[in-house]
Amino acid sequence: MNTFLKLTLKFTLAVVILFSTASLFSDSIDISNLKVEQLSAEKPFFGADEYKYEPGKMDTPETQLSSRINWAIIIFSVLMVLVLANAFDISKYTAKITGRETVNSNNVNKWIMLFFMIIGFIAVIWEYKNHGKHILLNNSSSEHGVNYDSMFTITLVLTTIVFFITQFLLFMFSFNYSYKEGRKALYYAHNNRLEIIWTIIPAIVLTVLVLRGHMTWRSVVYAEELNKGKIRSIEVFAYQFGWKARYAGDDGILGEHDYKFISGKNELGLAYGPEVDSLLASLKIELKSEEQALKVLKTATLANLKHQLDSADGIKNYKMMESIQQSIDDINDGTAEDDIKASIKRKIKQIERIEAIKKHSDMLKSKAAMDDIIVQEIHLAKDSLVTFNFRSKDIIHSAWLPHFRAQMNVVPGMPTKFTFRPTKTTAEAKKEFGEEFEFYLYCNKICGVSHYNMKIKVVVESQAEVDAWLSTQQPAFIKRPVAPASSTPAIMVSDSTAMPAAAVDTTKKLAIR
Amino acid sequence: MSTATLDSHKVGHHGDAHGHDHDHHGNFITKYIFSTDHKMISKQYLLTGIIMGCFGMGMSLLFRLQLAWPNETFPILETLLGKWAPDGKLDPNFYMALVTIHGTIMVFYVLTAGLSGTFSNLLIPLQVGARDMASPFMNMLSYWFFFLSSVVLMSSFFVETGPASSGWTVYPPLSALPKAMPGSGLGTTLWLVAIVLFIVSALLGGVNYISTVLNMRTKGMSMNRLPLTIWAFFLTAVLGLLSFPVLLGAGLLLIFDRSFGTSFYLSDIHLNGVGALSNSGGSPVLYQHLFWFLGHPEVYIILMPALGISSEVISTNARKPIFGYTAMIISLIGISFLSFIVWGHHMFITGMNPFLGTMFMYVTLIIAVPSAVKTFNYLATLWKGNIKFTPAMMFAIGLVSLFISGGLTGIYLGNAALDIQLHDSYFVVAHFHLVMGSAAIFGMFAGIYHWYPKMYGRMMNKTLGSLHFWLTFISAYLVFFPMHFMGLAGVPRRYYEFSLIPEFGIWMDVNVLITVSALLGGVAQLLFLYNFFYSMYFGEKATKNPWLSNTLEWSTELEHIHGNWVGEIPTVYRGPHEYSRPDRELDYFPQYEKGNGEPEHYHAPATAPDTSYDGKKEKASTVFFSSFAHLFAMRRA
Repeated sequence: MNTFLKLTLKFTLAVVILFSTASLFSDSIDISNLKVEQLSAEKPFFGADEYKYEPGKMDTPETQLSSRINWAIIIFSVLMVLVLANAFDISKYTAKITGRETVNSNNVNKWIMLFFMIIGFIAVIWEYKNHGKHILLNNSSSEHGVNYDSMFTITLVLTTIVFFITQFLLFMFSFNYSYKEGRKALYYAHNNRLEIIWTIIPAIVLTVLVLRGHMTWRSVVYAEELNKGKIRSIEVFAYQFGWKARYAGDDGILGEHDYKFISGKNELGLAYGPEVDSLLASLKIELKSEEQALKVLKTATLANLKHQLDSADGIKNYKMMESIQQSIDDINDGTAEDDIKASIKRKIKQIERIEAIKKHSDMLKSKAAMDDIIVQEIHLAKDSLVTFNFRSKDIIHSAWLPHFRAQMNVVPGMPTKFTFRPTKTTAEAKKEFGEEFEFYLYCNKICGVSHYNMKIKVVVESQAEVDAWLSTQQPAFIKRPVAPASSTPAIMVSDSTAMPAAAVDTTKKLAIR
Repeated sequence: MSTATLDSHKVGHHGDAHGHDHDHHGNFITKYIFSTDHKMISKQYLLTGIIMGCFGMGMSLLFRLQLAWPNETFPILETLLGKWAPDGKLDPNFYMALVTIHGTIMVFYVLTAGLSGTFSNLLIPLQVGARDMASPFMNMLSYWFFFLSSVVLMSSFFVETGPASSGWTVYPPLSALPKAMPGSGLGTTLWLVAIVLFIVSALLGGVNYISTVLNMRTKGMSMNRLPLTIWAFFLTAVLGLLSFPVLLGAGLLLIFDRSFGTSFYLSDIHLNGVGALSNSGGSPVLYQHLFWFLGHPEVYIILMPALGISSEVISTNARKPIFGYTAMIISLIGISFLSFIVWGHHMFITGMNPFLGTMFMYVTLIIAVPSAVKTFNYLATLWKGNIKFTPAMMFAIGLVSLFISGGLTGIYLGNAALDIQLHDSYFVVAHFHLVMGSAAIFGMFAGIYHWYPKMYGRMMNKTLGSLHFWLTFISAYLVFFPMHFMGLAGVPRRYYEFSLIPEFGIWMDVNVLITVSALLGGVAQLLFLYNFFYSMYFGEKATKNPWLSNTLEWSTELEHIHGNWVGEIPTVYRGPHEYSRPDRELDYFPQYEKGNGEPEHYHAPATAPDTSYDGKKEKASTVFFSSFAHLFAMRRA
């Protein structure tokens, strides 16, 4: 009975493994043909800001090499399983027959320990060499990044040394002191001197690292305070799922804002009187219509939906029927009513609060926000400090600029900022990282379904170029007489001659801020 | 606590119905389901943990498929997942859900309950010499709350809008606003309910572990004779008891924000399709503080039992006393204490005051010192041992290796300045999967292989065990080591696919490598499952003390009986790690053996050469350093 059960168990397991691996690897995956080119995405999800995907330079030999490595791993492990299983199986039977053990598993494992260490070390060195060349180190595009990189290097060197020494000892001890019949281990319970040594040495090393880290951290997070008055400020605004940047207009002042002012025409919720008034008016209209809807919800709306359901039934559109039925259910179980009531309550609160702001504050009387420039691309001037003032419309995002070694979370209801000095123009970076290279700001805090496609391009150029670019952008609430960049060269020329003076002017005003 | 009291306790429970404890056989329900016996509860924890582990690992394989082959379709996925994988391609919302639930299951259900629940329950009474837990009934409740919690969590997969999908940390506002993400609807409600139930379970368990260790030790079992496993479980329980209530608070406030219109975590939000919310004055960062006040000790709640288990396993199988028993305990206590004041290192760049960042950086790097001491002590324990490579021992050695690899990267992440760049990148994923994910799982496997004979009375197959170890070990490194480099190159975590960012194209083949290795790791776990269930019925019959170990649990009968020992509980005469004493014939000296008046610790006479190893006499003061020379010369003994 037992033998039979054993056999069945083994057989089913083998079949399951065989079939699952076969189905996994036969039709769906063809690793050998996987190329970087195939990775282009045709359609970004859910209205995320669209960027054309341009495939990077193909690293063909490397890709092929790695696919070969993958195959090698699969084949190696399958072989290892088979060989070891059989070897031990055979040894078990021979042991039964001859009455003594032919394969000492302790010895086998001890040698594998040694091989694992050697192959592991080679693999680690290979990794450092091959993947290490892609890591962002000693190629920082910002001023503090240089400091960061040198600190990273110190930590990398230290930890690598410790890694190799301790792993070597671990596996060598395992190999060297494996079990031998008749040998007695060394009774060695403690040694205070040794323990003090290996408490104090890590403590000293860590103290050095901490002090260095403290200094770097201070210089980064207090950059704004340490360089008072020499910094240009821009606002970086995050929403599900994209980024926008806001530059001060000709007045050099970033206007005030409030999340309650956000509307279709005022995406950043800037404090601009007329726009807020029109938002108030439309809110009041919506409020009225919602109140109306609430009244007829159980009568006219329901009847209408039922009628729609019948007509959908007539054309056998089941998907539509399902969604209509859902709406009917919502009305019947009261969720629709609750939703509208909550929305009404929310709008009343919003109107109340906006009116309180109008009454008690000068915010909406200010004209500062009028000429602010809202853009889809961040342009920074090389070698001048810039502060990103972060604001979130909805949930927590995180602005990560890996090439500038800069990151800060963007938190709703809490202003955050990051100050740094770019030291490489995009053109210079292209020379270093390849023609397709662009600086990007990524989202690095899980923020919803399109988190993976939430980025904004960052362009670093000279101050004059930044100003020229700015002058071609439309301010938020006034029409600027200048034509966009693609217009006739005549205007461009007149524009660029006027530029230096205007640029100096703007910088001065910014300095005041 | 005297034996007499223990006996009366025993009689009070079962004495009326049955004359002897080992005659105690309830019906099926009281024996296997609502059992109050700590050994049965431990098995229940283990089985639930293994099942949850399968779910957690399966989920990781699903999203690894997506990351490796973003443009391929796997028709089998649609068959399995239905609308979550239309046309065989994972839905991005479901990807987020998988990432979230994978994290939750692994952190809470497998590595907290599955690891600490199993082995605290099994070993605390057996190793301190108690008939059962301080409150067996509460212990049973603890398991059933855990079970209920698992069911609630898994049931969220059957919700229309999907399970919670805002990451295992469920940061508000994302998790608080159903309109921000489908998973933040009913799925997150179920997640929160599951976590509340889980916390209840953890607290009931923790109180029990602490009181059992403090009050129910047998005669002679002073605190400085406790095995390191018990010290680890004890401190883990203390950590859990002090930190889980804070998560409960955070969760309750989140429930309030979600359902009752409060604004603890919400402020100034304008949501697409909803409009400006009325909430004002709350702070999302408050949640993060509360969450990580649990979240960081949680890391050690996961890791310390694994370290305790590996201490015991390494000492037993290296046939050596654990090096620096006192230093190990002091390190554990130091880690426990410090773990409460370092939570801010998860939040360096959340916008909290930079000054706090400095403070948290200092204490975080201090915590590396006791960790380093533990590592060196493990190495010193192996040195000049007589190492038996049982599967348990190999997993314990693997733990040390992974603990080193993952721990070293903690030095980067604990450094506030370096964290600016590394935060939430793949570097972090690599770090915590090595140091607390894989290392703790390895500790759990070490425990399972080591105490399987105690749990099921049979031995697991050694060959399959070695095979399982090597495949898992190789795949753990292949999966997580390359991730360091991805993170350093600026690849963010929790991205559904990388093809939209051309720069990440170079990592595509690494992603394939990682997925292939993860699949290999998955296959290795099938070997384990087969071995585990097969050995339960057909494994070789175990002997009473199969590993020739010193600790008290091996003095019990193979057959499980209520009350653990027939007759009196043995008295303890010495510490747990007295292996290979020169003054003894055998290379072990059980705690419960009276001996012939040997001193508690062996001290070599000051004059004579005090150590003999391999038949050579050496001086203790020179042995350690001279051994390096031996190593390099590859001296074969």
